[in-house]
This record gives sequence, structure tokens and C-alpha cells, in this order.
Amino acid sequence: MVLVLAIGDLHIPHRAPDLPPKFKSMLVPGKIQHIICTGNLCIKEVHDYFKTLCPDLHITRGEYDEDSRYPENKTLTIGQFKLGTIGQFKLGICHGHQVIPWGDLDSLAMVQRQLDVDILVTGHTHQFKAYKHEGGVVINPGSATGAYSSFTYDVNPSFVLMDIDGLRVVVYVYELIDGEVKVDKIDFKKTATAPSAH
Amino acid sequence: MAKERIPDWLNSSLWSTTPSVDDRLHRFSLSPTTTTTTAAAAVSEPIVQPTVPVSPPAAASRPQYTVTSQKYEFRDPIDKNSNNNSNDNDQNASPSGVSPDDISRQAQLLAELSKKVVNFRELRRIASQGIPDGAGIRSTVWKLLLGYLPPDRLQWSSELAKKRSEYKQFKEELLMNPTEITRKLEKSAVDDHSKSESSGLLSRSQVTHGEHPLSLGESSIWNQFFQDTEIIEQIDRDVKRTHPDMQFFSGDLPLAKSNQDALKDILIVFAKLNPGIRYVQGMNEILAPLFYVFRNDPDEEMAAAAEADSFFCFVELLSGFRDHFCKQLDNSTVGIRSTISRLSQFLKEHDEELWRHLEITTKVNPQFYAFRWITLLLTQEFNFADSLHIWDTLLSDPEGPLETLLRVCCAMLILVRRRLLAGDFTSNLKLLQNYPSSNISHLLYVANKLRSQASN
Repeated sequence: MVLVLAIGDLHIPHRAPDLPPKFKSMLVPGKIQHIICTGNLCIKEVHDYFKTLCPDLHITRGEYDEDSRYPENKTLTIGQFKLGTIGQFKLGICHGHQVIPWGDLDSLAMVQRQLDVDILVTGHTHQFKAYKHEGGVVINPGSATGAYSSFTYDVNPSFVLMDIDGLRVVVYVYELIDGEVKVDKIDFKKTATAPSAH
Repeated sequence: MAKERIPDWLNSSLWSTTPSVDDRLHRFSLSPTTTTTTAAAAVSEPIVQPTVPVSPPAAASRPQYTVTSQKYEFRDPIDKNSNNNSNDNDQNASPSGVSPDDISRQAQLLAELSKKVVNFRELRRIASQGIPDGAGIRSTVWKLLLGYLPPDRLQWSSELAKKRSEYKQFKEELLMNPTEITRKLEKSAVDDHSKSESSGLLSRSQVTHGEHPLSLGESSIWNQFFQDTEIIEQIDRDVKRTHPDMQFFSGDLPLAKSNQDALKDILIVFAKLNPGIRYVQGMNEILAPLFYVFRNDPDEEMAAAAEADSFFCFVELLSGFRDHFCKQLDNSTVGIRSTISRLSQFLKEHDEELWRHLEITTKVNPQFYAFRWITLLLTQEFNFADSLHIWDTLLSDPEGPLETLLRVCCAMLILVRRRLLAGDFTSNLKLLQNYPSSNISHLLYVANKLRSQASN
């Protein structure tokens, strides 16, 4: 039972002052094992805040991030590899502004195959999406602060929490709609017969 | 109001203890002038420890205990003794072997246990003299005394099966993590769903009852899970620190690991079933001897089910002492403070001079030493084998463990009275917080005597 928080596109302080208070009250330290951040935080204070929630933090660089040391993309594996039964989940992170057209499924699938991951977490579009295709799953947690994006002002704050348990993942989507936190969930299983990477 | 003199029996040289172990052996070869008072209580006859075997074998000294009461680190004290026990038939009076007295007691206990319906009064009487270490006797006797096994032998197997499956169910229900619980709750076909669509937007489904990992709701299983995590961590820390000198409990062997896991599971299940008292530091110390004894039962089947048996016996044992662990009850009439003041009162009745010296002159507040004695049932004051022997008496006494415990604590104080009377605050406190190892049978004999002496 590993809890992974996927969050990003906060654009603090340029486009938003802070996380919505309802989100902040839910995000307490001690519950989450990993944090995946798609990028565009943008400042160090936000980085530090995430560090207090969970020491294991993975960030990729968005185009407005002030810290240039973040990598362009990153992969991490969750779960222990036991022969035969439980496998590992490979997660890939990429901000998404590099992938053109922005938010296009096929191009993102290409990135996913390139990184060879089961779940690709990207951002940039500020819209929550969860796709499934043959190669795996693409998740976009949206913008946690509801900051405006390059093509729309109408953004609902959202983030994603994944509960990874063996080969099953339950994705909890937290959205702030009309001032109320709405939680949905998505269930999926990794197909056990994944071809080994060469 | 009686005269304030110290009673005669207290005045004897019997009560003075010396720090070194070897001296005691010497002293016990003194002429047995002071044992006249033992004639009164028939029960205490075999516990008359100090006499040299001048008297008939029934009251023979018990060399076995001088072996075990030495203070060096114990690896597996019971194993050593059970090895001795098995050889005892050959060597009758070997110094490290078992005296004929023990053999007779063992035989008596075995006879009692093999009866169809166990006579509890008889059992208590024999058990209060001490239970021999071999042949799984202690394990069975403790289970009987704690009410886990019914007196009727024929019902044993059905009772045991029932209780063990109950424990198994507790474990299954309470030790699941929330992911598994949520999965169980919605057995509806989610699996088929995912196979049908190979690509496209993933379907979103409603969250049932607002159950999500970040939920802050009181009734949310996730929230409860995270709250429990703190307690589980605490239990984990304490279990790892239980008896670090014993290989049974700590060390790198897989045996130690599985024992620790068992202890942890028992304490977690207890904490979850008792939200009022949860887990308090020290419960692990009370559980440890129970688990040890049951696990080392030579009977395979009993040893395998030691975890379940220990759980129920732990609950039973703790039921008499629960209030000591509850912080809110500290100052009430049932809390730890009141028990400590009862001990103090007890001491005052039996040995006013010592009481006055301790509490008034040197101002040694009984809370400083008695707290640990009482809450942990003396497991931390003596080495493991000795504390098992003390527990034999605690559990078998018809007056109940608490009363017996108070008497034993009082006896502990009286035994070192000479040193206490001569000491000041610092030395007294040091002495009482690191109680010197002494002859346990002797201690229990004194405790027993305190029972018959009404307040002066």
C-alpha cells in the first residue's frame, strides 16, 4: 500500500498565491510515501513545502521553474520485485511543455514508450486527464492551484493521489469544484505480462 | 494499639541480606534457630529455604534456586533447567539438579493436571509453592489459573479450538490495511471492466462514503489507519526493546523475529479491541513472560498456538491491572497512586520503623520505586527465571494477583531493611531502583508470612 501524490502546475507566486486552503488542510505529513511533481512550482518555497509533506520528492522541470537543476524527465519504480507474483510499477514524469502538440495522446504515448514506464505523469495543460492505451496509462493531475493556463482561464484546482498495491492502482482524483472538494476514483490493474525492456 | 516494637520474627538474622551471592550460601549453613515460626503455616513448609537438609527431605533446601538466582545474563534459563530436570532421576542430590522435593511437587502437579476435573484449590496450593520448569507444566498451570482452560479436561480441546479461531478472526479483521478493506467492500466486477477497453479515457467512479486516503473524517478507515500507525510504531519500538539480553526475544535469528512479530500482533490486536486503554508502554513486559512460557511448551501443538493463547491470557491477566495503565485514573481510588499508597499503608502496618524511616526521614516517595514494581508486576526487578517463579505465586494465590503483589513488594522492602535503615535518600533510592538479586523462595516465604500477620 504505497501512496503517491501527483501534483503540479502550481505557478506560485506568478499566477496563484497558494494552494486552496481545503487542499492544504488535507495534505498533512506522514501519510504519503512519494510525491511526484510535474513542474512549474515555481519557487523554492513550494519545493520546501512539499519536502515537509514527504521527504521523497521527484520533480521535473517546467518552463517557468526558477530552479534550473530539475531534470527534464524522470522515472521511478515503486514496489518490490518478487519473482512471479508482485511486480514493480514504473512511473515516468515529464512536464509536458516539450511534447508537441501539447496534451496530444499519441505524442505522450511516444514519450511513455521512450521512458519505458507503465504510468506517465505529465502536466502543462492544467486539466485533469487519465488515459489508457496499449502501452500504459497517462495521468495528468491538472493544476493544484487552478492557475490559468496558456489556453484557458477556466481551471478547476485538482491533484491526484495514487494507491499502489502490488499490481493494482487506485487513483483518487481530488478536484475543487465550486468551493467543494470532490473525490473520484479510478481503478486499474497492470497487465501482468509486460514484455521486458531490452 | 500494640507496642511499637519490631515483632520478634522480624528481628532474626534471617532478614539481613548481603550484596554478594556467595555469602548467602554460607549463611544458610548456620544453625536453623529461627525457623520455629514456620511451623504455623503448613503451606510454607517447603518454602523454608534457609535450613540445611538436617530436617527430613520434605523440607530440604532447594539448591536449584541458588543456581538460577545468580545475576549474570541468561540465555535460556528454562532450557538449562529442563535439561537438569530430565536427568534428575539419576542424580538424586546433585547440586545443580533437582531436589527430591521438586520431584514430588512435579509429580503432584502432574497428577492434579491429569485428573478429569481439575481441583482448583489443590492446584493453587501446590502451584503457590513454585512450579517446576520442565514438561510444560507451567504453561498448562498458568492457562488454568488464568481461566483460559476450563477445569473439565474433556472440554479443553474444544475450548482451545474455539478461542484460537477467534483470535485468528481478530487478526484478519483488525490487521488489514485500508486498501484491502476497500477492495473487499466493493467486490463488484471492476476487473472485467478494465479488460474490455484497451484504450481511451479511463472511467471515473464515485468514491463510496467519502473514503479516500486523505480523508480527515472521524469514521474514515483511512484516518483511523493513520492514527493507528502511531500506536503501531510505538508497539514496534517497545517490542524491539523487550529483553534484549535474551535470544528468544531479540537477536538476528529468524526465531527471534517471529517471536517479536507475534508479540507485536498480540499488542496491536489488543490496542484495537480496547480503544479506551490502547497500548501503554510496559504492556510488552507483561506479555513477554506469558508468551515465553507458552511458546516453550514441549507439546508441539500448544507451542504453535502460543500466540493465540498468550493473547487471551494477557487480556485476563491485565484485566486485574488495567486501571494502573489508564492515565485518567491515576488519582482515583482504583488507579496506580492509590495502589502505591496501599503498599505504603501495608508497610506501615507491618514495619512501622522502616516505613517511618523511608517516607518521613529520608523522604523516599514510594512512587519512585513502587511504580515500576507494581505496573510491570516485578518483571523488571529480577532476572527472567526469578520473575517466572514470582509469577507462579502471583497467579496461584487465591487472594488474587494484586494482593499478592503488594505482599511481595512489602516483603522486598523488609528484606533489605537493614540497608534501608542505614541509608539516606540517595542510597535508598539507588538500592530500591536496582533491587539486589536475592533468594526468591525466601522472598516468597516472607511475603506469605505477611499474610497471616494481621495489623499490629
